[in-house]
Amino acid sequence: MSIAIVDARGWQNTLDLKTGEKTGAAGAVVEMVKGVLQRHPYPGDMDPGSNRWVTDTAFDLIDRYGPRFVFLTYAAQYFSGRYAPMASDERARMITDIFLEAERFINASGFAAIMVGTGDMTPFLGFIDATGIDGLAVCTHWSTRYAGLYGPSQEDMRRLRAHPHIEKIVPREEIGKLFGGSPEQISKVPEYLMLAREGYAFRTVSDAKKTPVMIPALNFHVPLYAPGHAVEAVTGIRRAIEEDLSERNVVLIVLEGIGVSEFPWPHLSCRNGTEWFYYEPGEAQYLTVTSGEHRFLDYPTGTGCKYLDKAEATRSYPYSGIFKSVPEGTFARTFPGKSIAVGNRSMFMHMVTGADLSVECFARNLYNQGTMAVIHREDKA
Amino acid sequence: MYTVSGDILRERFPHRWSSCGSQLLEAMPFYHVYPGSRCLAIGTTGCNFRCRYCSNAYIAKEDPEIQQDRMYRLAPRQLVGLARKLNCRSIIFNVNEPTVSLPTLLEVAQEAKAAAIPMGCLTNGYTTVESTEVLASIFSFFNVSLKGISARFNKTYIGIDSSRPVLRNIRTLAQVRHVEITTPIVQGANDNEIDTIADFIAGVDPEIPWHVFRLLPEDEMKGAKYPDIHAIDAALQSARTRLPYVYFHNFIGSEWVHTLCPGCGHVVIERFSLGCGGDRLKRLLCEDSRCPDCGREIRLLRENACLGDI
Ligand code: SF4
Repeated sequence: MSIAIVDARGWQNTLDLKTGEKTGAAGAVVEMVKGVLQRHPYPGDMDPGSNRWVTDTAFDLIDRYGPRFVFLTYAAQYFSGRYAPMASDERARMITDIFLEAERFINASGFAAIMVGTGDMTPFLGFIDATGIDGLAVCTHWSTRYAGLYGPSQEDMRRLRAHPHIEKIVPREEIGKLFGGSPEQISKVPEYLMLAREGYAFRTVSDAKKTPVMIPALNFHVPLYAPGHAVEAVTGIRRAIEEDLSERNVVLIVLEGIGVSEFPWPHLSCRNGTEWFYYEPGEAQYLTVTSGEHRFLDYPTGTGCKYLDKAEATRSYPYSGIFKSVPEGTFARTFPGKSIAVGNRSMFMHMVTGADLSVECFARNLYNQGTMAVIHREDKA
Repeated sequence: MYTVSGDILRERFPHRWSSCGSQLLEAMPFYHVYPGSRCLAIGTTGCNFRCRYCSNAYIAKEDPEIQQDRMYRLAPRQLVGLARKLNCRSIIFNVNEPTVSLPTLLEVAQEAKAAAIPMGCLTNGYTTVESTEVLASIFSFFNVSLKGISARFNKTYIGIDSSRPVLRNIRTLAQVRHVEITTPIVQGANDNEIDTIADFIAGVDPEIPWHVFRLLPEDEMKGAKYPDIHAIDAALQSARTRLPYVYFHNFIGSEWVHTLCPGCGHVVIERFSLGCGGDRLKRLLCEDSRCPDCGREIRLLRENACLGDI
């Protein structure tokens, strides 16, 4: 059983991750993790101390668990860059700070580092309004490049194809062909996938949202710092981790919202998708990195398919975002050594990394709820 | 929001929406209405309150004029069409205060009624007698935010002189519509009113579901201490003896989100709490709105909801 410990500041609850039910799980690892959560309340997505929280929490876990593989995500710059207008020198300072933070971890831990940025940000130029159509367009809160399209009329297609800020409308079959999916996988993707031009984001049915200032750019390539490795695509990062782990402890650091144009360290420019498709920051991109294969069809991030899922009301893994099962094939799930993950990106770290222990912020749409730890394995302790 | 020219009151931004998305009813929260179903959650801009802790301050408190470029422009018929396409069982106004957009909401209600889609809303309940009647003609179910009773709390944290209109309107609405009540607890400010509020609810109708929220310190209260969950839970003990449907949530992993049968205490509805608009149904154990153990009726608005008086 995977155990989730939620910490709402001053109050904790221990749950079965799969059923969401309260559990009386106890023992040394549970107590140790509870202590870590207690000592490290999450300051918030936009707080200047948010990335420092990642490093400090990871140190605490390392001291007590002694992992050989660590997965870290630093995301504060992604959230604040997205919504807060920033002068270029301010942004440059912020990026310097992120690398100082990563360096602090690397120097103090002595782990060999592999670092990947999830892609550049670009100024937001405007919304593509896809609400008043005969069919239905959907995308998730954080998606910008992609939106799913269902049941469009001929008139919808004519209008959308002529839209100056829509680059392409791809039918489901073409997506299936691109990723070589099974009929079941293909049935999960929308009838059409709409692609926005750089700087534009789809406006579809959605919760209230703030207007972004910066959004992910067209990141066909992302930066990879992996000394001694020749990696061409994000699917090759897992291999590099495995090779390094045969000799040393390794940390994989994911830097959200940092692309090839702003990555100050020597890096490779790594393919972040295939043909016309690239990964936006999110679950599918992480899974592709941790599993070494394309995972868009398993988790079609951003297409909004969850809104049409009728079985949504009752489900397994209620605290795990879009995930309804623990994904197969993630690196840390099969790695025999100890592993941990810490991040301030979202509540999917425990799913996309498969690490024995993970600690992540529990913030929903930037509202700070606290933290959650997941214990997938305690038998290695 | 409205503008007056001469004798004429006009809605400033009709058919403009700050949000329009599919959500679960439990997330609103409505715990006793169509459990596990989806609604089209809608909102406009502006509010007649200025709560110091507004989670939607960028919509409720900012000048609506400067928000217009990010608004959805959807005619009432389109809005109802979206609810259908998204398999929504209802339409719920939940972001700001519905009284600031009454003419548009009256139009939506007409379309929704034609499509047999009931409407509900979250409101602060600070409305005139006439506006309350209009609200009751539009909406079949309400979640009224009763933020506090004392004048001192209302002046300091909400910006109004008295909670009297809110109390009056809860009494009125509870006679004609399904009502749930929400109270965010600001520790040291209104936690001493928990028993008074419970007494008020018990006097109106003890079976009104009461959502006690742990305040999420946002907006002008960002940086304030998160209220103590143990202390609020303890303060609710007495209320729980008088009111059968008391819920304590708005934080991850709350274990006070299940419905117990008022007759025998058997769990009849289980839910998950993900905090801040993320609650969801886990299991409905009273399919026919009766406790499977003792047969007592559980208050639930289901198939028999009216569609307003429009
Ligand atoms: S009543 Fe609600 S929307 Fe209005 S200011 Fe208060 S919290 Fe915000």
